[in-house]
Order: sequence, then C-alpha cells, then structure tokens
Amino acid sequence: MAGLLETPFLWVVATIALYAVAYWGYGKWVDRNVWRSDAKKATPAHMYMDGVEYFPVSRYVLWGYQFKSVAALGPILGPFIGIAYGWIPALLWIIGGNFFIGWLQDYGSMMLSVRKEGRSFGPITYEFTGAKGRNNLLAFVLFYLIIISATFIALIAQFWNAFGGTTFVPTIGVLLSGLLCGQLLYKLKMNVMAVTVIGIGLVIVSIYLGMLIPVTMPWGAAWNTVYWAAICAVILYVAAILPVPTFIQPTNYLAFYPAYTAIMLLLLGALLSPFTGVPVAEPAFVGVWNNTIGPIWPILFVAIACGAISGWHSLVSSSSSSKQLDIETDALPVGGGAMLSEGLLALASLAAYSVVAGLSPTGASVTAWVGGAQALVSPLVGGKSANAVLATFFGLVLIIYALTVQALVTRFFRLVAGETWGEGRFHILGNKHVATFFGLGVSWVFAISGSWWALWLYFGGANQLLAGLAIMLIAIYLAKTRSPTRNYVIPGVFMVVTTLAALIWETWTFVNAAIQYVVYNNAAALAQQTRPPVSGVTLAALAIDAVFVGVGVALFLVGLSMAIRLFRTYGRSKAEGRVPAPAAADGGELENKSH
Amino acid sequence: MGDPNQPAEPKGRKRQKVSQAAKGVLYGMAAHGHVTAALRTRMYLEHLFMFITLGDMLGVPVIPPYYSLKILPYAVPNIKSWKQRVFRERDFTDQVF
Repeated sequence: MAGLLETPFLWVVATIALYAVAYWGYGKWVDRNVWRSDAKKATPAHMYMDGVEYFPVSRYVLWGYQFKSVAALGPILGPFIGIAYGWIPALLWIIGGNFFIGWLQDYGSMMLSVRKEGRSFGPITYEFTGAKGRNNLLAFVLFYLIIISATFIALIAQFWNAFGGTTFVPTIGVLLSGLLCGQLLYKLKMNVMAVTVIGIGLVIVSIYLGMLIPVTMPWGAAWNTVYWAAICAVILYVAAILPVPTFIQPTNYLAFYPAYTAIMLLLLGALLSPFTGVPVAEPAFVGVWNNTIGPIWPILFVAIACGAISGWHSLVSSSSSSKQLDIETDALPVGGGAMLSEGLLALASLAAYSVVAGLSPTGASVTAWVGGAQALVSPLVGGKSANAVLATFFGLVLIIYALTVQALVTRFFRLVAGETWGEGRFHILGNKHVATFFGLGVSWVFAISGSWWALWLYFGGANQLLAGLAIMLIAIYLAKTRSPTRNYVIPGVFMVVTTLAALIWETWTFVNAAIQYVVYNNAAALAQQTRPPVSGVTLAALAIDAVFVGVGVALFLVGLSMAIRLFRTYGRSKAEGRVPAPAAADGGELENKSH
Repeated sequence: MGDPNQPAEPKGRKRQKVSQAAKGVLYGMAAHGHVTAALRTRMYLEHLFMFITLGDMLGVPVIPPYYSLKILPYAVPNIKSWKQRVFRERDFTDQVF
C-alpha cells in the first residue's frame, strides 16, 4: 500500500468535498439570494408544452442529459496542457474555476433562459444588445466552430495514428453498430433493450477485432496524420448531412456505454490508488512559465476549459435543457450539478496524467491519458496482462468523445452557415453540402498544418471567451431585474480579460514565429507553431502561420467588440436599476403601509 | 433532523426512490437525446403534413380543397400545437442539439 500523500487519492477526495461545498453551500446561497428561484413559478416547459421541445422532464433525467451533453474531450485533454505548470496549479484551476465560475455560468444560463420564456442565447443577445450584437455573436460562433473542428480533427487523426493502429477498427465498429441500431429501432421497431444488448455486443467484438487487425499507414507520422484527418472529415461529412436519428443519435447512444464505463473505472482507479500503489509521477509545481506554451496566466485558464468553465455549456443550457425544466428549483441540480460533475471528469483525467512521468505539451505524449488510465485501472482488472485491451479501450474512448461531439459541431456549423449565408450574394455557402464541405475543408487544412496545442489554445481562448460573454449576458439580466450582480460580474470580467489576453498571446506566438524567420532567418519557431509535413516547407509554414495570425486577430476583434457591447449594456442596465421606481398613483401610500 | 411529527418514510419507499432516480439518470444520459431527436423529426414531418393539408389557412393552396376537407377531421386536433410551434421564434442557437 503506497502512502496516501504519494497517490492522487487525497486531492481527489478533497476536490470532491470542495465541490460538495460549492453545491450545497455557495450554490444554494446563490439560488436563494441572487436568482430567488421559486418552485411555484410556471416554467416554459409548462407554459408552452408541446410534447416535442417544451415538456417537463424529471430532474434526474435532465441531469443525465445535461451531463452527457456537456462532457466531451475538453475535460480530458485540458489537464494535459495544464499539467505543464505542475499538477497543483492545474488542480487549483479545476477547483477554483468550477467553484466560482463554471457551475455559476451553466446554472445562470439555464435560469436566464427559463426566465426569458425558454429562449436561447441568440434572441436574448438580440434583446439586450440589438441586431448588431446578435450578428456579432453569429460571427464569433462561426470562427469558434471552425477552430473546435480543426482541433478535434487533428486530435482524432493523431489518436488513430497512435496505439499501434488498434483503435480504427473499433471506431468504425461503433459507427456501423450505431447505424445498425438506428435501423433496428426505427425501421424494424425492435425493443430498446434488445437493440442495446446487440449494440454493446458489437462494440466489444469490434474492440477485439481492433486488436486482431491493427490498421496502420505506411507514410510516416506526418503524412499519416494528413490522411487520417481526411478520413475523419469524410466521416463527419456523412454524420452532418444524414438525419440526426439515422446517424448522430444512435451512434452517440452506443458510444455512451464505453465512454461512461471509462470515467467510472478512472475515478475508481484514482480513489483506490493507495491500495493499488500507483504513485503520482509528475511534479507538483514546475513554474509560472513554460517555454513552449507561455505564461501560466492566461494560458492555464484557457488550456483547461470544460471541467473548470466552458462557453459551449451556456449554449447547451439555454437551447434545450431550459425548455424541459419542470420547476425553477431544478436548475441548480441540473445546470450546476452537471457542471460540477464534469469537474470530476477533469479531476479523473488529471489523476491519470499525474501518474505518468515526463509529459510534454508538444511531444507525442498527447495520448498519455491512455497510459495514465492503464496505470490506474490495470491493477483492478487483472494487472499488466490487461494492458493491451485497456490501451485499445481507452484509446477508443478518447476518439469517441471527440468524434461524437465533433459530429454535432459540424452539423451546428452547417446550420449556422445556413443562417449566415442562406440569403444574398453568397447563398451557395448556405447549401447544406457546400457549407459542410467548406467548414470541414477549412478545418482539415488547419488540422494538418497547425500544431495541435496551438489550435487547442485558440479553441480554449474562444470557448472561454464565449463563457465570459455568456456570464455578462446573465449579469445584464440580473442588473435589469435589480438583483445582486457581483457574483457574476467579477467572474465575467476575469474571464473576458483573461481570454482576450490569451488570444493576444497566442496570436503573438504566430507573429513572433514569422518575425524570427523573416528578420533572423530562424525557422525553429515557425516549425514549432506548425506541424509536419507543412513545417518542412518553410514558405508553406510561413503562409499558414500568417493565416493563423489572421484567425487570432479575427477572434480577438470579434470577441472584443462583443465584450464592449455587453459591458456598455451592463453599465446602462445598472444605471437604470439605480433610478428609483416611478411612484404609484397614490403616492406610494399603499406600498408603505404594506411594509 | 426530520420533523418528529412526520411519520418516517418506509425503507422500501426510499429504495424505490433511489432506484427511480438511478433509472432516470441512466435514461437521461443514454436515451433522452435520442427520444427528443426522434420527436423533433416527427414534428417536422407533421409540419409538412399540416402545411400540405391546411395550406389554404396560410394562403398556400397545396392540394384541392375537396381533399383538404376530407382530411380536416384528422388534422383539427393538431392545429393548435402546430400554430404554436410554427409561429415560435427560432434562432440558430436553438439548434445546438
């Protein structure tokens, strides 16, 4: 039995305890004093019940749905970059970010939508900031989706290329089994339980086949990734244009079982680490500067996005969950509770990384989560003999977390493109095939040319900025209703400033790489910002570097303009709140009597 | 501490509640999105059906009134919810899932 202090056990337990305080202490306080949620108030689910989009759902069902919708690759890979500063800073951000900001945003977005008759963030932004504000949001979301797509495609390609090629067949197995399950359910009207058993059986067989028939490419890591990324883009194209019940939903349904089994195993492995004797191998604190990714502020705060705070969640909370909330008081367990639970996923991932020695954000160790998971879980399931199966299983889990969310993101991009270019001179870009092809094409080019961690930091910056903007939107509503705003404004300002600083820093790294080459004829920085094979052709690397500068500048400017708009509206709403309410016709006598 | 005047909840009932909650969470994680996606697909098909049947109401005569009138008794119960859904404000941010 290893000492308690040598394993992740103590800090995993301490974080769970702090999250409990966040929920039952701070959470209940905000619910009572800021939002004043009222179980007797009619929610949109009851007011506009149509049995399709608006209908009341039990808090347990909605919690499960919300958690599944927000948990993806973010909390798994974020800690990998964060741990470059040591596991303590990463842990502190996972605790503090979620405690003071993360759950508050998810819960607030849900409450805001509920109080605004179930409307999502687009119409609410329009109401608060006008048509320009909404267009600004639309532009920001378009860039944001392209960056997410590029990051996830790059990572999926890298994962397929790793693990000795054992994960490709299981991935195809999950997708085909999902398609088959969809047909069995809808065409043959088979029983859900029977379909589930068949589906899970097929997934297990495909994991076995993956180990028997590894699929590798012969062109070396650099070119292999290019082709893997192209295969990924083709799969995403099919997923985005097929009807949701045909592909995305059955695949997501089937992917749920291995994905959540993996989280359970990982948490169990971390909690039992004193008994299994798996020690922490990473240093607790490395420093406030990392030569590759830069300073701890603002980089750490955008590297670990989901798990601490994520803007994507505000879109989820306000688009579907809020329309199905039975009573207002359910928003805390559903919105806040699901976010705090996602923090546990980030925590489990941090525990997995912490037991692997010698991690580097730029190296091939991006797959280290699987190594850490193997180390934590193998003592529970048969020791080292289980390592091969666990590598394929956890590798598959990494890929399906990315692929299932990316399928939704690609579909969402197609819809947003339709909204943006559906009419006017560029209407062809609104066509579903053209929009999907365009979105995936641009993302594929970024994925095969930019270094994955630089893409990840752009993604984190955009994602966290969206979170900051969502928090400010919530603060505006609270100011308009004369409720306390401090709990939202302070995190909102922090997130907006931090993420804009991160975008400036990331853009600067690309600018600096170009300066190093053009002025000092030093191509090393350029090679670091891009990836092979592009980095091998200096002019191509320079060109793609310039494109990334453009992306960074565009993200920054659109984000800044949105932030200014929101801060101005907040200021105006706060000022309006200070003006005394107009006196009643009787001079306020009746009101005075009632006090 | 619970209210001493309140009778204690029987153990079996508590267990049932926990089991219901666990089932709910599992259903929510695995199948709720699936169900709502299927409902939404049906909704779009129903919209199409209603539009074809009662297009005259919107000034778009799609099929001859003779057939519209024959189908009318089947379509009437859906008119209210159809109108409610069709006239609802929709935005790109509504379509995340």
